[in-house]
Amino acid sequence: MSGAPDLTLADVSRIEDIVDKSALNEVCRSFFDLFSIPIRVFSRDGALIADVHETRAICTYVNTLRSGRPACSALVAQVKNLEPKDGTIEHPCFTGAIYRVVPIDYQGRRLGRFVVGPYFPAELTRVPKSLLALDEDMDSETARAALGEMPRVRRETAERLAAHLTRILDLIIFSGHRAFLTSEMHVASVRESFRELAEKNQDLQEAFDRLKELDRLKSNFLATVSHELRTPLTSIIGYSDMLATGIAGEMNEEQGEFVETIRSKGDHLLALISSLLDLGKLEQGRLTLHVEHMDAPALLEEVATTLAPLAGKKEVQIAIKVEGSLPGVKADPVRLRQVLFNLTENAVKFSPRQGTVTLGVRGVELDNDDDDGGMGLVLLAAPRRGLELSVSDQGHGIPSGEQSKIFDAFYQVDGSSTREHGGTGLGLSIVKRLVEAHGGEVWVESTPGEGTTFRLTIPEEEE
Amino acid sequence: MQLDFKSRELTIKLVYYGPALSGKTTNLQSIHQLVAGEVAGRLMTLETKDDRTLFFDLLPLTLSSENGLQVRVKLFTVPGQVIHNATRRLVLRGADGVAFIADSQRSETKANASSFVNLRKNLKDNGLDPTKMPLVIQFNKRDLEDIRTDAEIDALSARGNEPVFKATAIRGIGVLETLLGLMEMTWKHLEAEHQLEAKFGVRTGPLIAELEKHLGAKPGGSR
Repeated sequence: MSGAPDLTLADVSRIEDIVDKSALNEVCRSFFDLFSIPIRVFSRDGALIADVHETRAICTYVNTLRSGRPACSALVAQVKNLEPKDGTIEHPCFTGAIYRVVPIDYQGRRLGRFVVGPYFPAELTRVPKSLLALDEDMDSETARAALGEMPRVRRETAERLAAHLTRILDLIIFSGHRAFLTSEMHVASVRESFRELAEKNQDLQEAFDRLKELDRLKSNFLATVSHELRTPLTSIIGYSDMLATGIAGEMNEEQGEFVETIRSKGDHLLALISSLLDLGKLEQGRLTLHVEHMDAPALLEEVATTLAPLAGKKEVQIAIKVEGSLPGVKADPVRLRQVLFNLTENAVKFSPRQGTVTLGVRGVELDNDDDDGGMGLVLLAAPRRGLELSVSDQGHGIPSGEQSKIFDAFYQVDGSSTREHGGTGLGLSIVKRLVEAHGGEVWVESTPGEGTTFRLTIPEEEE
Repeated sequence: MQLDFKSRELTIKLVYYGPALSGKTTNLQSIHQLVAGEVAGRLMTLETKDDRTLFFDLLPLTLSSENGLQVRVKLFTVPGQVIHNATRRLVLRGADGVAFIADSQRSETKANASSFVNLRKNLKDNGLDPTKMPLVIQFNKRDLEDIRTDAEIDALSARGNEPVFKATAIRGIGVLETLLGLMEMTWKHLEAEHQLEAKFGVRTGPLIAELEKHLGAKPGGSR
């Protein structure tokens, strides 16, 4: 639309752009019904956009005459092209009728014009000479009769009618303009808001990408440093081992104790560095699982046996509970042992003296990821079975606000517990990543003061 | 500004800016009431049902200057509410001058300041230089309690660059002075940029006098 209203200045250049043509025609029709005067509305560039008229008897008669037809056509063309530059024009027809051409101005701009007529001025009482002289076959009686059928309007009435129509058109244009601006502004505002949001999203995305890159660099750094630290540490442990076995000569008791301390702290440091390395690999998705059929009860038994000395020191019982028949699952035994060992070691650490740590295993139906509140469940894939392993303690529990954070690397519920119980803050984040690498899930259920249960699932093998 | 050489028509856009409920729409309503019918067109408001401006208000003024140039002045208001910033920025596009309507109440001092900061940002975002934009400031609602005193405003305006007007728009006090002040500044700015006198033979003095005649008010700020 070339002349589309300009939103910056909220301008209108063409009536057609903002006014419904059929509604405009209806208004003109209603005007015609009231006053029997034809109405035509032209746009600024002269296009006819509303037209209500009936052919007058006089026009029909004139058009039957040889010189009548061209004279009539010429007059109509003339009226059509009249531009009321300095206000309303009253243009006479040779029949004595009048065409009133009125400008349509809106917000200080010419938008078009309307033509009222032809109507016969009430002041005129005789058939004008210009009509009688038009054609030699003109019959004055027929002409008089035909003119008599034309609406007769006094000049001031015609002025009032035109003024009335001007006001109505102004209102129609104003309403159309208002509606047009409202809808255009609506769209433009939404677009502008969208653009603003899109820009912000772009900024956020860039910030996010930068952070992701930084995170990747951090993981790389972690992996490299861990690796580099491990090499000399292996030598430290190896040589202190050799010293302890007396290869380099007998040591006295005190020297033996010192070397033993170096060795055990070295082992601790090695374990710590290994978990950093694991985390690094897991974060980069570089850890390979060696899966095989898994005997869950045996695995739990093994973990319980390994941790029995630690539990014994605190007089903590480790119980094993196997419920019902278990589905066959595949897992990496080394990694899963690491997971269970970590969870059980934690449970023992946080258990009160003479408490019980329970290791459980049972078969469960796994939640469907697409589950939408059970909707259409019958149509969705059959629920998968899986193995659920759990480790429960009777410790002081984890506040609910903390439960979602404990799987983050380096996070500890209470900084002081590290000093009391040891640990790197990496254990649970490694547990989570290892379980997820198996396609499973891990979560925690805890009631402060009563204890904590960690549950993890390993899905059944796909057929 | 938009120039149509063919139809000898010049359109100027003036925007009434300011915080929510400072009286921008009221300014336009008063102008509409005060200005003669052949100059001011119908006041168009695009508002929500609770009388708050949603998109803008628009009051068109039309002046015939010497040498037959049709000068159309379109007065716009922006929606003041903070959430409508996208709309504010849209309405501000192509502005030739800005009247900043501040609320005189002491409690609104902060709102005035942040709206002004927002104006500067939106001008820049629209590629307009805030330091070059013709700008007048109106302290509205002079009839209320607990407002910033005349002495305070005079002292501040003496230090600032812009003409400052005091108004009670709801009673029509000071609104025409604000408009004339802005119109005069804007015209001088446009004259300097586009040499309107040389192109159209329209001189600043007579044009402002013509506007003044129709508005029935004298230009000039409080300073």
